[in-house]
Amino acid sequence: MATAGNKNINAKLVLLGDVGAGKSSLVLRFVKDQFVEFQESTIGAAFFSQTLAVNDATVKFEIWDTAGQERYHSLAPMYYRGAAAAVVVFDVTNQASFERAVKWVQELQAQGNANMVVALAGNKSDLLEARKVTAEEAQTYAQENGLFFMETSAKTAANVKEIFYEIARRLPRVQPTENPTGMVLPDRAMDRTVSSSCCA
Amino acid sequence: MATSDSSSSPSSPGTDFADPNPSSDPDTSSDRVQSLLESLNLSQPSDVSDGSSHTDFTADDDDAAEEEEEEVVPANGNGLEGIEASSRAENPVEMEAGEEPPSPTSSGYDGERGSSGGGASTYKADNASEGEIREASDTAEQHEAAWLPGKRHVDEDDASVSWRKRKKHFFILSNSGKPIYSRYGDEHKLAGFSATLQAIISFVENGGDRVNLVKAGKHQVVFLVKGPIYLVCISCTDETYEYLRGQLDLLYGQMILILTKSIDRCFEKNSKFDMAPLLGGTDAVFSSLVHSFSWNPATFLHAYTCLPLPYALRQATGTILQDVCASGVLFALLMCRHKVISLAGAQKASLHPDDLLLLSNFVVSSESFRTSESFSPICLPRYNPQAFLHAYVHFFDDDTYVILLTTRSEAFHHLKDCRIRIEAVLLKSNILSTVQRSVTEGGLRVEDLPVNHLLRQKPSYTSNQRQEIDVSVGTGGPFGLWHFMYRSIYLDQYVSSEFSPPVTSHRQQKSLFRAYQKLYASMHEKGLGPHKTQYRRDENYTLLCWVTPDFELYAAFDPLADKAMAIKICNQVCQRVKDVENEVFLQGASPFSW
Repeated sequence: MATAGNKNINAKLVLLGDVGAGKSSLVLRFVKDQFVEFQESTIGAAFFSQTLAVNDATVKFEIWDTAGQERYHSLAPMYYRGAAAAVVVFDVTNQASFERAVKWVQELQAQGNANMVVALAGNKSDLLEARKVTAEEAQTYAQENGLFFMETSAKTAANVKEIFYEIARRLPRVQPTENPTGMVLPDRAMDRTVSSSCCA
Repeated sequence: MATSDSSSSPSSPGTDFADPNPSSDPDTSSDRVQSLLESLNLSQPSDVSDGSSHTDFTADDDDAAEEEEEEVVPANGNGLEGIEASSRAENPVEMEAGEEPPSPTSSGYDGERGSSGGGASTYKADNASEGEIREASDTAEQHEAAWLPGKRHVDEDDASVSWRKRKKHFFILSNSGKPIYSRYGDEHKLAGFSATLQAIISFVENGGDRVNLVKAGKHQVVFLVKGPIYLVCISCTDETYEYLRGQLDLLYGQMILILTKSIDRCFEKNSKFDMAPLLGGTDAVFSSLVHSFSWNPATFLHAYTCLPLPYALRQATGTILQDVCASGVLFALLMCRHKVISLAGAQKASLHPDDLLLLSNFVVSSESFRTSESFSPICLPRYNPQAFLHAYVHFFDDDTYVILLTTRSEAFHHLKDCRIRIEAVLLKSNILSTVQRSVTEGGLRVEDLPVNHLLRQKPSYTSNQRQEIDVSVGTGGPFGLWHFMYRSIYLDQYVSSEFSPPVTSHRQQKSLFRAYQKLYASMHEKGLGPHKTQYRRDENYTLLCWVTPDFELYAAFDPLADKAMAIKICNQVCQRVKDVENEVFLQGASPFSW
């Protein structure tokens, strides 16, 4: 949950998406302004933090860059539970990654945090030749499902800062009180990990 | 390796098809296995001619870093096709350190392949010139830096000549024959090959028996069955059966570390379950493990090694790690590459050296751990193969990293705080720069031993006179100690000397490594052992092994070394190790005192 105090907002943000969609590349461009052509596969989840100043507040993002590999799917709830925002990433040159993104959106909606700001990022927008998913298709889907959509390119840095600033602007400014700690229940989380992680 | 080495013949608890040649073995079941084996060769291109295959080999060889690791059988030697050609190929061309390349005429096999004489000499010339370059530039450090992780040759499959020429293959497959992992080539394209391996295993299993090893000329095919998972190694590297089997065990352990043993349940639900996607993105982890089978003694000693450090510094890091463990962390490890700086465990929790090997291999070979702090589920197969632990990993610099393991999935922020406390101690005592200095300076050196100088001739050559092939040149003279490894049984740790001249090239180091590994196997042979001492001499080394209840010492001398003097030097090595044990070993590590 986003927590506000003296206009300082701490916001947990999770990135979800298919293998190779460019989650890590987006985060590394945003946090370190770096880009490598062949980003290694993420293991488990990587943690980053980055602070942004928007008009009325300072937003400190605690970013969970999750692994897209199938074996880690069952861990995703551990990272999106209690998150104030999610960026669902797909690769505009890969139709299957868009379908996977749709599944992530459905999972987030079913999980039922109505306050969560969900962004849909169509990454690798620099690869004009190889495009398989049109901006219109993604935009239509986003509008129908209450997300906001941007095409990004971690390689050229296009729209990378913009998408995180837009999330920061959209975060609720008042902390919801019904879930003050935002902690997960330890036992349940453990069970999930042990029993289901390889049989997703 | 012309001298006798009977120790490498495997003791075979199950079915051992020592000679798969059907004419000499009337047993029908081995007949069937033979025919299955032959079916592995069905798609062998008929034109394994010298022109094309030589081009292949030299093309591979151009890439020195690649060739170092990926042993390729030279064109006229035994590739996988050697399985059928084995009876003819008595002397295939296999380049190992310190081995004179056999002349084309010494191998009848060469003659049978037609115009190979010229080709073979081309190969020799290529190799010699490359050997010189390597001699000048290749140190162990450089080699490690040059070796690139990750899978290569994904374009190959079992129909490729280059694939068949690889000296050592590893396969993981399911009991329904679905490929899970292959060291070379694309798993999906190897479905037919996997099915054949599965057929061999199932055929023997149906007879109420178990296949452990098939020997075919220079090749050994080693099988390991772990529930629904089959592991197979096909190798012509002349390693012992025990060690190859141990390698398959470690490969299985690495897979369990990533997925846990609960993967078996997926096969109970669906026998046709396709497991390969679950290992996505882990090629580098497996290839780095396979690479370690040819340089890391931990893979057969089943012990770990520490970075040499002043006693007080290791104590200081040990104290903070123990503090961290007292706050609910199961294991806390501070590592530098594959070496331990310090480690601690919660009460009664013990960490097996094999788990440590697999864990550090996983972390070091996964590039993504270096970008940030990571939190990932991992399983320690010896600790509990059924359950995931959660690992917090953070790199302080390129080499030095901390791993904190917990059973609690929500403990990330606690572990992050622990890391900050550890980092504060490291900075305060300037430990990271001491670690870097230790990495640069290296560990024990045979030159530093207080050996009577009358017995030790000074090296009589300068570096540009060295020759790779003639390893007996120079150093140490008849009493020269070249290298040693000392394993403390009580501590589960070993210390090994730095490589010194003349064991300088990667080939020579690998050759010595394999000699040690055979020595280890022969000392621990089931039924005959445990032996106490062994002294053996061949054209490359004089090897001495000494096993006591407290320690094991493995030492390599000049092939002309004098026996009495070698024994004397071994005593001095042991004394030397005792003198510096506080710097080279981690003392009183609670996780290992079981």
